[in-house]
Parts: sequence; structure tokens; C-alpha cells
Amino acid sequence: MNRRIYRVLGALALLSMAGVAQADNMLMSRIEMRAEIVLEYVKSSIEEHGYAIAHLQLCDGGMKDFGYPSDVYRVVFFGKVEEVRKISADYPELVTYLPLKLAVIAEKDETLLTVLNPEALAPYYADEALQIQLGRWHNDLQSILDDVRRATAKRIAARQ
Amino acid sequence: MHVIRVLFVAGLLLTLLLADAAAAPDGEALYVEHCAACHRLGGQGGIGLPLEAGKLANVSDDYLRKTVRVGRPGRVMPGFQRLSDAQVDAVVAFLRTQTATVERTFAEAPVPGDAARGEAVYVEHCQRCHGADGSGEGEGTGVTMSRERSFLVMPASISNRGFLASASDQMIRRSIVVGRKGSGMPAFGSGKLTDREIDDVVAYVRAFEIQAVEPEPLDADQRPTHVYESPYDFETTVENVKLALTGANFRIFPDRLLEQGLIDEFSVNTRQIGVRFCNFNVLYGMLKIEPRLGIVLPCRITIMEQPDGQVILVVPNLRVISRWFNNDELVGLWDRMEESFIEIIEEVTL
Ligand code: HEC
Ligand code: HEC
Repeated sequence: MNRRIYRVLGALALLSMAGVAQADNMLMSRIEMRAEIVLEYVKSSIEEHGYAIAHLQLCDGGMKDFGYPSDVYRVVFFGKVEEVRKISADYPELVTYLPLKLAVIAEKDETLLTVLNPEALAPYYADEALQIQLGRWHNDLQSILDDVRRATAKRIAARQ
Repeated sequence: MHVIRVLFVAGLLLTLLLADAAAAPDGEALYVEHCAACHRLGGQGGIGLPLEAGKLANVSDDYLRKTVRVGRPGRVMPGFQRLSDAQVDAVVAFLRTQTATVERTFAEAPVPGDAARGEAVYVEHCQRCHGADGSGEGEGTGVTMSRERSFLVMPASISNRGFLASASDQMIRRSIVVGRKGSGMPAFGSGKLTDREIDDVVAYVRAFEIQAVEPEPLDADQRPTHVYESPYDFETTVENVKLALTGANFRIFPDRLLEQGLIDEFSVNTRQIGVRFCNFNVLYGMLKIEPRLGIVLPCRITIMEQPDGQVILVVPNLRVISRWFNNDELVGLWDRMEESFIEIIEEVTL
């Protein structure tokens, strides 16, 4: 009986603690398609959202060169120069998180897309202008993930 | 008159019911949105454990609902506190349909075991997979795919607060009796362990609840980055940073200007540079623990000359970043890394 009460209390305590395990510091999506192909969808969706692609980091290549075999693991860096300039002038400490990054991670024939939700930074800043910027990035990133999911779904359906 | 009123109320109720049915949450869509990234669309498991028929046939809906709500604090799975009860029910119903299983219900009565006696059973039969503290042997969670690890399916953390708050004694007992066939956990029923030994080990697992240590909370003054002022000019600072990193066994990538690739090469600000570095050996190990790490890689120290000529270094605060992953294994590792990292930077700005 005692144990049961503890369990119930434990569950309640976990539920009531805000941010025990924040659901959305990380935005994630799984695509049933090979990473090399998904990467192309990701790049075009990013550009359609008005961002320039700055750079593509080939993490798997680096690891392979050093004797650590890895499936495709790429990170796409992207941004808008005006936004980067504004942040580096007004909030220089935030440049660490720019350009934005999206990881394209192969899991066998499927692909995991992951991106840090910029709103994870929001609790550290009271400034409203910045909150708006972080929220806008969040919306764009979510929309990019949604686009890729929709566009690839068509292709996956056609394949079946 | 009375009849009309009754009919009216009945009609109203019916409309409400129908409206509710029409608005019933779509369990599959919710699963795709919130769960599939980790557990895969068919429930085969990825960063998360498999959610297949053999397992689901031996757990209750109550366990599934609580697991969705509280997640696994510090063990990657977030708690979905913002879903409504109806949405959580819909996800659970979807899992039931997808696996063609019905729930197994359990008596609430605690298992009458003796934790002290259970310790010996645990050490002999469970520890090699679940670890001395119950948090799971080996690196990382879920199903092993791209990078080799010590198990094909990583043993669950059975000392996790979220697990213990969700699973009843009788359900834990059942998991031990039938094992987890697809995942390499043997069945301990049918004579492998006696009923009493099983009861005792359940009591031992339950006792993890009391021992569980919470990770050290962050100091309130921790910021997402550290900013240092350099006493040197821009070029010297960049050189010093590279020397210090090379000395600490990091591999330095070619420099990238902060705005590079975002604007033409003539307009780019050349007084903001990212020195990017990595240690592939360490990275490979860390990806086993946290495959999503790429979103904060490679490590980068940004050096900027401010309009007044002051040169600053902006350095990620690993303590803060690691906590965004809800992964205590990573937090432990990065809290230690952060210390050596700061030493390097302080050396450079002395
Ligand atoms: C970020 C990754 C992630 C997400 C998203 C996620 N999970 Fe999990 N889940 C995990 C991990 C990791 C574990 C295993 C923890 C461990 O190893 O102890 C787990 C465990 C579970 C378990 C317990 C399995 C068992 O063996 O008893 C269930 C049930 C579950 N998750 C359901 C869900 C559902 C339903 C959703 C969506 C609402 C979801 N998870 C979302 C990562 C995730
Ligand atoms: C060979 C390795 C191995 C041994 C030995 C083993 N387990 Fe497991 N156990 C696992 C794995 C792997 C899982 C997760 C499997 C899954 O969920 O698909 C698991 C899951 C569990 C779970 C369910 C937890 C959850 O979140 O799903 C319990 C409870 C458990 N084990 C208890 C025990 C106990 C008690 C013993 C000793 C009597 C034991 N195990 C021995 C590998 C092992």
C-alpha cells in the first residue's frame, strides 16, 4: 500500500515539475528514405524559406578519414545575412548558435532530421525583439521539416 | 412539454457526442509527429526502444499513458505534458491497433519481495546488462544502428524515475518472467529463477526509486555561452586560440567567417571568424551516447572584433547545451569536458 502511494505521489511530482523533460528543445522528424536523397529535399526547402545555405559539414567523411566508420551524417548550415548581422551587433553572445544547423542522420534506409529549437534560448533573454526572432526561427524550422515530410511522402507513395 | 424537453436535451447530447467523435484526435498522426522520430514508424525502435507486439502484449495501457506523460527524465525520452488526455489515449489506441495487442492489466498489490535478498539475484542475473545502479550498461539508448555498441538493443534504465513512476510491481514482475525476446533479455520464469527470487529482485528494482540521484542542477547564473574579452588584437587572438586547441589534441578545420556563404565574398565581414575544431575519437564515442549531437557540432569558438576595436571570444557553454538533450549520460560527460575547455580559453585570454 505504501509503495503504491509513493508511486502515485512520484508520478504526480514528475507531472507537476515544469520542464522535467522538455518535449521541444529538439525538433525531430523521421523520413522513410535514404539520407542522400532527403538531403536534397532539405536543401531546397531551406532555400524556399528564404535562407542561404552557407555550408555543408560532412561529419561522416571526417570520421571515416580517422578510422571511425559511420553512415551518412551531414550538417547543413544556413542563415540570412541581415539576421546574422543584427544578432552579432545586438546579442554577440548568441553568434554561437548561428548560422542555424540541421542534422541529416542516416539510420539504415531511413533518415532522422534534427534541429535545435532556437526557443530553447528564450528563457535566457527578456528582450521582446529577440523573443520574436527566436519564435520566427522556430516556425521556419518546423515548416522546413513539415515541407520535407510532405514532399518525400509523395515520392514514397509513388514508389509503392 | 416534458417529452419535448427530454428530446431536446437528448438531441443536444447527441450533437455534442457526434462533434466529439468528429474531433477525436488522430492517434496515428500524433504518433508520427511525436514518437516516430525515435521509435520508428512501425515501432521497430531507433533512439527509442522497440514498441512491438511481444512487448506491448505484456504491459498495461496505464503504463503506456504514464510513460507518454512523464517520459524518461534524463534518459532521452521527453515527457509529453502538453498533450490532452484524449490525445494520449489516441496514441495508446494507435499502438494497440498497430501491434494488434490488447492491454494486460495488473493487480495493484505490491510484490511481497525482499530487496535485501534481491540484491544477490540482481548482481548475478541482471547487472551485466542493467548496470550496478540500474541505469543500463553500455553507451546510449535504443537500437544500435550506425555506430557499434555493446548491445544490439541497449538495456533500458530500470532505475529511471519515469520508468518506476509508470510501471507497477506486478508489471515489472511480468517483464522479468517473460523477458524481452526480440531485445536479448532472457525470460527468467519457467524455472530459471524461483518465484521468491523474482519477487525479491522486483523489490530490489523498486528500491532504486529511493536511491535515484538527480543530476546536479545548473547554477542560476549559467548562460548559453561564455564571452571573454581578449587582451590581444584580432589576428593574435585567432592564432592563440588555434595553438591552444592544437596543443589540447583537437583537429582544427579551415576557418570560416561568420557570414561566409550567406553573402558574396566582397561584402562579408572579415573580422568575425569561427575557429572550428573536433576530436574525432571523442566525437565517435559521444555519438553512441547521443546520435543527435550533430546539431551543436562542430565545436566552434567565434572571435569577433567589435566596432570599438575590442576583440571578444564567444564560446558555447557545454553545461547548458548538454541539458537540452535530456540525456544524463551526455550531461556527465560534458560537465567534465566543460572544465578542460574553459582552462584552454582562459589560457588564451590571459
Ligand atoms: C527523443 C526520443 C523519443 C521520443 C520522441 C519518444 N520516445 Fe519513447 N523512449 C525513448 C527512449 C530512449 C526510451 C527508452 C529509455 C531507456 O532506455 O530506459 C523510450 C521508452 C519508451 C517506452 C517504454 C518502452 C519499454 O520497453 O517499456 C514507451 C512505451 C515509449 N517510449 C513510448 C513513446 C511514445 C508513445 C512516444 C510519443 C508520444 C515516445 N515514446 C516518444 C525515446 C523517445
Ligand atoms: C542480456 C541482457 C539483459 C539481462 C541479463 C537482463 N535484462 Fe532486462 N532488459 C534488457 C533489455 C535490452 C531491455 C529493453 C528491451 C526492450 O524494451 O526492448 C530490458 C528491459 C527490462 C525491463 C523493462 C524496462 C523498460 O523500460 O522496458 C525490466 C523491468 C528489466 N529489463 C529487468 C531485468 C531484471 C530484473 C533482470 C535480471 C533478473 C534483467 N532485466 C536481466 C536486457 C537484459
